[in-house]
Amino acid sequence: MEWAKDSLRKLEATREVRLSSEPPEFDTYETEKLIDEYHPDYLGMQRNVRVGPNANDGKFPHELADLLESDSQLPFDFDPTVDIETDVLILGGGGAGASAALALEGSGLTVHLATKLRLGDSNTIMAEGGIQASLGVDDSPRRHFADAYVGGHGNNDPDLLRVLCENSADTVRWLGQLGCILDTNEDGTFQLRPGGGTSLPRVLACKDYTGLEIMRVLKDAVLLSSTKTLQNHAALELLDDGSGQVSGAVLWDRSRESLITVSARAVIIATGGSGQLRFQEFPTSNHLGAVGDGLILAYRQGCKLVDSDSHQYHPSGTAYPEALVGQLVTESIRSMGAQVVNAEGKRFVNEMAFRDVLAAAIIREVAEKRGIQTPTDRAGIWLDTPIIDLQNGEGVLRHKFPGIIHRFERYNINPAKQPILIYPTLHYQNGGIQIDRDGRTEVRGLWAAGEVTGGVHGTNRLMGNSLLDITVFGRRAAMSIQSDLPDRRPVTLTSLKGYRESLQSISSQSRLLSPQLFPTKAGMKIAFERKTAIKKPNEGLGVTDQPSFEPPDPFAK
Amino acid sequence: MKTVEIKVAGKTIKARTGETVIHALWNAGMAGLIDTGCVGGVCGACTVTVRSSGGQMRGTDLACMCPVEEGMEIFPCPVDSVLTVAPEPNPTGEKLRVAYPKLDRCTKCGSCTTACPMSIPVMDSVLRMRSGELDKVAEDFTTCIHCGLCRFVCEDGVQPHMMGMWVRRSIGSSKEQDSDKIIEQESPQAELEWEYLLGGDSTDKMNHARQFRKSGKIES
Repeated sequence: MEWAKDSLRKLEATREVRLSSEPPEFDTYETEKLIDEYHPDYLGMQRNVRVGPNANDGKFPHELADLLESDSQLPFDFDPTVDIETDVLILGGGGAGASAALALEGSGLTVHLATKLRLGDSNTIMAEGGIQASLGVDDSPRRHFADAYVGGHGNNDPDLLRVLCENSADTVRWLGQLGCILDTNEDGTFQLRPGGGTSLPRVLACKDYTGLEIMRVLKDAVLLSSTKTLQNHAALELLDDGSGQVSGAVLWDRSRESLITVSARAVIIATGGSGQLRFQEFPTSNHLGAVGDGLILAYRQGCKLVDSDSHQYHPSGTAYPEALVGQLVTESIRSMGAQVVNAEGKRFVNEMAFRDVLAAAIIREVAEKRGIQTPTDRAGIWLDTPIIDLQNGEGVLRHKFPGIIHRFERYNINPAKQPILIYPTLHYQNGGIQIDRDGRTEVRGLWAAGEVTGGVHGTNRLMGNSLLDITVFGRRAAMSIQSDLPDRRPVTLTSLKGYRESLQSISSQSRLLSPQLFPTKAGMKIAFERKTAIKKPNEGLGVTDQPSFEPPDPFAK
Repeated sequence: MKTVEIKVAGKTIKARTGETVIHALWNAGMAGLIDTGCVGGVCGACTVTVRSSGGQMRGTDLACMCPVEEGMEIFPCPVDSVLTVAPEPNPTGEKLRVAYPKLDRCTKCGSCTTACPMSIPVMDSVLRMRSGELDKVAEDFTTCIHCGLCRFVCEDGVQPHMMGMWVRRSIGSSKEQDSDKIIEQESPQAELEWEYLLGGDSTDKMNHARQFRKSGKIES
């Protein structure tokens, strides 16, 4: 990184003083102003949606609003005839879906889990930093609650957050029984790390591969269970019984290129987030399939979405090298002491501030020209990673964060010796489908769990609370289904028909089709032609064109 | 930005220097050529083999982690999953041998170590499995993404990643999961504290939460 040597020299010159300095703190007013002026959620890049349960109620990023106002991918003449009959249909093969499947094991119910990619290809598997559990001295579920509530700006649903916090110890125990190995101290107790906004160390980890450890164990357990996994099966639409109860789903079998109708007594949506919609052209840390499918499906059935204007821009996404742009550098590395430093070698924010505050502070620094310009036409801020070894001894960074070392070494950057460049990356969908304590949506027959839901984290999630969320609520949805399993109902597309009718009432209708399944940029089109088009009043045939929408080119300047 | 030409599954595409094979495919509208999952190097969906412009095989890689180079050729190399075996409490080398009898077929060729995109010393670890050093094996496979390339390249049908998983899950689930390790911090004050945190209007709730974070107690 010869091109950055001037700035690196400044950073090294201030390191000794910085190491003994207190981090800069902002008061409440400064914090609010910072977020208001620089956090991407607050820049007015959102709008109302004109149809559905949130019609003129709540803001959505334009990219998501367009998809909510779009027509279904399903051909108009599609007539559902049941191909698969099951008791419980889980949509999504990440941590929440897998947890739900495991909690249904032994229930005697037939369970199908459909996933658009392969089982485990998800955001869960990419989670690095850890999972929160209030196991420390002076800690409690109440203190966990207080941290997450303040971090979420008090917009959390207190009932949901309480459930999350009260189940952390049980969840860690459950993961242990499945065979997850989390880092322990010499006496066998769990290592607890601080996270941004935790008032004491509360984050359990498996190095910087916590999500990988949890997901591969959940996946292995699901493969050994009686759950029937339908890989490469994307959910295209939910089915209902004609009177408002969800009764199954239509899946798109990507391998055979055919539509599959599933009749189910209960459906769990666990389809995750929407980072690949790349709001405001941000890079993302999310997996290929994170385009908000579940939000669209549930919305058409009448489920209200909460806090859909709120997304998490993780402060430390990689800004250089280009091949790693958007990928995560775990928050743990900051909790271990790595400092965030601008081009002048100055520390400008407390590295352990809440994520939205830190992200906004980094964006401001770059906007006001105190960032570091890369030869790839990006800008970032230094994360002074060599501090870890300087303070804790040679080799500690490599031992605790093998993932970061592994990724950067390929580009001849050794984070143990050399700082790395970061810039916020679109990371997490804070809002989503409204659920109750048992993962029930407002619609009978439909449950939801994980990132696709809203309310648990308010408008800013704390590190380590999403791995907890998926395991707690995935399992709760499964338990709730067992105690309250609806009868089998007929499969119809009545709700979709109603939604399609309401779409006709709006002007300048979106030309997209949704759920879009993949970032359209990727060119992964669904291979069937729509046979009929929406009839608009006085207009004959309406739009049938291919989607004109392209998510922003991640490499465009 | 400079562009290079690469070949993926026989198709020539233009790519920008600095980007990965996966992003080059996206920009060319041809993402379907290679199975893709996390795009972050941990799900193991996008396994490929790579030939450099000179014509020599460079070995296996993950397309989402592989930066483009002029003239390189990429061959998709999807690895099917294989049946997994349930973990056993208190695992030993002998139990592992029963679960995965092909363990002893290893001829120490080292292909698995070369193929591993995570730089795990796979062959050494297989030898440790044979001699029953399972704690070390569990450590070796901490960063295993279960892509299956080690099994794919093994001519003798050894399944290192599956055995690594079996060892880790067996050890993990055998550990003491009693209150020694998971100390729930409960107090007789719990209900009072919940009332304090959940009571009042939104301003009260926020103030109470702010106060409670400081010490984990209700300050009078």
